[in-house]
Amino acid sequence: MSTEKKPMEWGTRLGVILAVSGSAVGLGNFLRFPGQAAAHGGGAFMIPYICALLFLALPIGWAEWAMARYGGERGFHSGPAILGVAGRGRVARYFGVLAILIPMVVYMYYVYIEAWCLRYAWEYLVGGVSLTGSIEEKVRGAAVFFGHATGTNADGVLNMSSVFWLIVVTLNIILVYRGLSGGIEKFCQFALPAMAVLAMIVLIRVLTLGTPDPAHPDQNVLNGLGFLWNPDFSKLTDFDTWLAAAGQIFFSLSVGFGVILNYASYLKKNDDIALSGFTASATNELFEVGFGGLITITAAFVFLGASGVGGGFGLGFQTLPVVFEQMGAAGRWIGFAWFFLLFLAAITSSISMLQPVKAFFEEALGISSGKAIAWVSIICGCGSLWVIWFSKNMVALDAMDFWVGTFCIFLLATVQIICFGWVWGVREGMSELDQGALMRIPRFFMFIMKYVAPAYLLVVLAGFTYYNLPQKMTELSNTPVALWTVIIIGAVIALLLVMVAMGERRWRAAGMDLDGKREVN
Amino acid sequence: MNTGGWIFMLVSLSIVWGTTIWAYTRLLSAPSEKPRD
Repeated sequence: MSTEKKPMEWGTRLGVILAVSGSAVGLGNFLRFPGQAAAHGGGAFMIPYICALLFLALPIGWAEWAMARYGGERGFHSGPAILGVAGRGRVARYFGVLAILIPMVVYMYYVYIEAWCLRYAWEYLVGGVSLTGSIEEKVRGAAVFFGHATGTNADGVLNMSSVFWLIVVTLNIILVYRGLSGGIEKFCQFALPAMAVLAMIVLIRVLTLGTPDPAHPDQNVLNGLGFLWNPDFSKLTDFDTWLAAAGQIFFSLSVGFGVILNYASYLKKNDDIALSGFTASATNELFEVGFGGLITITAAFVFLGASGVGGGFGLGFQTLPVVFEQMGAAGRWIGFAWFFLLFLAAITSSISMLQPVKAFFEEALGISSGKAIAWVSIICGCGSLWVIWFSKNMVALDAMDFWVGTFCIFLLATVQIICFGWVWGVREGMSELDQGALMRIPRFFMFIMKYVAPAYLLVVLAGFTYYNLPQKMTELSNTPVALWTVIIIGAVIALLLVMVAMGERRWRAAGMDLDGKREVN
Repeated sequence: MNTGGWIFMLVSLSIVWGTTIWAYTRLLSAPSEKPRD
């Protein structure tokens, strides 16, 4: 009887694309994109946005798919090992801990927000959201409800949302434990179409709102769309706009996140990766521009006017409940559809964060899938409880989001494209992409991958460091919770580095090609 | 909404819907996968 473990693999070509798309489509598509676009030139924001998509996200995404399958052929499925293979040695392998750190730490705060979405969806389903009085009173009521529902009014609050957090965490663990094809792929095959249907329902309702309040004839759907889409070309000369566009693309597409490195490593040598990478990006853009760009700000503008429109979580959790309240009886069901949509978007992303970490624990420590998910759940659960406990003004969450969810993503993307274009070699990389390809990637992308993307990223990284870091360093020194959060992140990095060293010894002892020096037939 | 807003919105929506439909059409019309070992 064979005792060899059955290798993990995807069930179908469409399944892996929906899983990668599910990972990319998240809260950022619906809440972050419209706010960023409105604040940075409206329609004109699409120019730097599309540049970032073409010169950064698509090429780096393709590089990740290629390096992942190449590493997978050598039996590796974790970011550090795969970057060690493509980056031909130890330096790239140790930088690869970023591909584990990012999904691990982002998961810690992402499941907390995911629990808010589920809690709000539940409250709408049972009719638990009731805002009364004038618009101003409703806005105040929505803020109070948000504080109570999420526990962000004070530190040390474990309320009803903690129960929803427990449900969400358990769901994540079950889906990841069930494996790629049995858990993640099956769930995404249901969740992505469901998200498209829910988004379409909410979109149709928003676009048919007309002019709901005759006393404010200027607050209509067309002006709401104009608020987001009317171009302001003067913003294009502002470096901050280009930085925001690159940041949005990274945040949204899960590029430089470590997820694709793991997901694509389970593909076979002749499986397509070129069209798959393109399709996953296109799906994400459809949700972001096609739905996110039309729903949230338009709805908020129609009922609350220009002054009521903001971006981010405030828009999603505090402004839109007021909007749903103004819709009358239908508002309750539209509210449920909206928050259930956000919940599905969030959970398809969070399971994609657990999977690469689990794979790394298995690979580095040589433990079973069950033990790996148990260890990952304990560590991530402790980190998540830290975020929930220190939730006042979301200080711990913001610190993790900035240092890991933003800064480290830029850093990992830079490491990856340098490994791909300059160490592995853009010709070898492109020939890997051509293997089994269902579309031919235009050859000018070789030039983009070798020169344009690294240069673009280094400029963005320098601009990011110049504009954002000094303020964050000051905040860090003045905020003990943020400082301790960064110390904890440092401890996690140290743990991951030790694990890479342990893995290195195991892989070498097993005779594996961990520096990518041998040909695979 | 002004003319520029209409142009940017319609072009952006055409691009995202067009590329998504093209990608899925190409993917679903590709030769079916060999059964996995």
